[in-house]
Amino acid sequence: MTYFLQLVLSGIVVGSIYALSGLGFVLIYKSSRVLNIAHGQIIAMGAFITYALTVWLKIPLYISFFISMGVTFFLAMSVERIFLRRLIGEPIISVIMVTIGLMSILDGIIYLTPFGSFNYSFPDFFPKTTINIGPATISWTQLVGVIVTFVLIGLFSWFFKRSTVGISMRAVSDDQLASMSVGISVPKVFGLAWAMAGMSAAAAGGIIGNITGLNFETLHAFGIIVFPVVILGGLDSIVGAVVAGIIMGLIQQFASGYLDGKWGLNGTADVLPYIILLVILLFKPHGLFGTHEIERV
Amino acid sequence: MKNQRVWMVPIMIVLGMVMALAPAAQAAEVYKLALSLAITGPTSDAGNPYSKGVEDYIRYVNDTKMLKDAKVECPIRDDQYQTDITKRNFEDFLADGIVLYLNYSTGSTLALKRDFEEEKIPTIPASFHAGNLEESTYIFLPISTYSDQCIGLAEYIVSNHKGDTPKVAMFIHPSAFGRAPVEDVQKAVAAGLKMEIVEVVEHGKDLDNTALLQRLVSKKVRYVLSQTVQSPVATLLKDAQRLGLIATTFGEEGKLTFLGAHYTGGNDLIELAGTAAEGYCWTTSYTLTSEPGDGTTFQLMLAKKYGRDDKTANSHNYTNGMMVAQTAVETIRRVQAKGGKVTRESLYAELNAMNGAKAYSPGNTVGPVTYSPTDHAGVDTLQIYAVKSGVFRSVGKPFTPTFVAKIKK
Repeated sequence: MTYFLQLVLSGIVVGSIYALSGLGFVLIYKSSRVLNIAHGQIIAMGAFITYALTVWLKIPLYISFFISMGVTFFLAMSVERIFLRRLIGEPIISVIMVTIGLMSILDGIIYLTPFGSFNYSFPDFFPKTTINIGPATISWTQLVGVIVTFVLIGLFSWFFKRSTVGISMRAVSDDQLASMSVGISVPKVFGLAWAMAGMSAAAAGGIIGNITGLNFETLHAFGIIVFPVVILGGLDSIVGAVVAGIIMGLIQQFASGYLDGKWGLNGTADVLPYIILLVILLFKPHGLFGTHEIERV
Repeated sequence: MKNQRVWMVPIMIVLGMVMALAPAAQAAEVYKLALSLAITGPTSDAGNPYSKGVEDYIRYVNDTKMLKDAKVECPIRDDQYQTDITKRNFEDFLADGIVLYLNYSTGSTLALKRDFEEEKIPTIPASFHAGNLEESTYIFLPISTYSDQCIGLAEYIVSNHKGDTPKVAMFIHPSAFGRAPVEDVQKAVAAGLKMEIVEVVEHGKDLDNTALLQRLVSKKVRYVLSQTVQSPVATLLKDAQRLGLIATTFGEEGKLTFLGAHYTGGNDLIELAGTAAEGYCWTTSYTLTSEPGDGTTFQLMLAKKYGRDDKTANSHNYTNGMMVAQTAVETIRRVQAKGGKVTRESLYAELNAMNGAKAYSPGNTVGPVTYSPTDHAGVDTLQIYAVKSGVFRSVGKPFTPTFVAKIKK
């Protein structure tokens, strides 16, 4: 039973981080129907900025974490303004291709810095002791990661549901022309969506970096790893990202805990989520919580 | 007629000058090597310092006129760990007339093996995969293979374990690089190495290894033998530390002792894993700057001379790149010393003759580089290092794993 509980706890921790990492995809898709393929690079940049501020400029980690979120907020907003603004109204595939190009540019920029070729680690910030939750244990880094994830996801959910800007963003997502006709600035909404996605990516980068260490390949891979999570949850659903993230986290832990090493199986934690994703998508093609659009001709 | 004589004078002077300068021009030969590796992309954390090690040593050779008037050219190209780019780079280098090629990854070395054979070009890769040497005559590994390293670690486990047959799990990279030593370690066990391989785990990009670690402990595994890169090992170590599963003494019952081959260790592992790396056992054939000696003094001087930062200067992958360049240059020097022409053929022959009294000691390895027509693995000896107070320190003397020979019979 202890083993089971430990797997559940680990699954929730991993799933929460997946949810936070996938949030950026959702925020951009929700407002502009665009998939940002460069999301993993922004996650990595967020982590590196936090490290640079903490270690090189000696700013306390928690302050660096928020500054980094601010920096990526403006960085992502600038990216949207420079590269994507002029593509409004163009086919979605063109915009996605631009984000692929953006991925290469950000890769190139990071490779010019020491972070592209060396590994780094955040200084110890949280206590080394573990927290016991019943018979299961969790580290302080993981606990803080889960708390930050849920706080941020709660804030973003509230923002989209209650704030005027959030409602404008949802309106733009539904129908750009109709939104413009009621006075909503579609370009501003797009810019804001990118900025918020950048901010959430930095938060995810900071948390992942604290867990795995700062290795560029590991960090930017999360942009791809969380892709099944957002597809499963529904590309435009924040709640979907959370639920799917936790489902994926639990599946991975259970697969690793109960299947690997038996009957010659190995690496099921990496494969099983995709199999389950395919099965679920057969029955719910828009994901668990995605908007099912009905086109009337 | 007089006019004709006037024109002849400058022509004769020019001809005379050309003839006088001809031997000098002949002496200033350029020997072309080339390196294709991952400076960006996967494994670039190893490739980047490796490339700097090669670059700096070649600069040093030219700056200090180590080969007299001859120069060595070694263009370095990034292949982003992609075999198709490596192949393109290699073809460009061939067109440029290289006499020796430095390759990098396991995947591209295996993929280009036939090309090396067809071109008859001696090749030294950064990959230590034993499979590189199968059906190959032109590949020369710088040090012991991953298989030898893992067998060496396995022997270390067996000789230091107290109690019943030690239970071991292998934690490997999901690629040809990671899988390379598994079969050979299994062969060593079949040949009488008294340990049990309970599980071979191919890792992913895991954020939490709780399930894996607890599963291993429940199976009474005491040792985790890794053949991968530093980052996944660091996450594994940190999770083990959180769960209180890191052995405080070697082979402690109910806990896990972690060990790993060349690319799992080094300063980057300590940087990534922090205090969780304490006690980690690692093997390589290189000397480390944490234990000063002539080789490491030279390495630090070289890095300083060419303005490298501390991280690069102390990286074992910088040593790795340096040593490969040293071996290539030494081979050229030997051909040159014999008055021979530096060609692919002469370098190949000279590499194969690098044994016995002609073994080469670059200074930064724990044993000499020895090649022969039947042995293309350079340094055969290994050194075990363990993290003590945040630094890798050598444990015992360099050794040659005995089961390597047994499984080859």
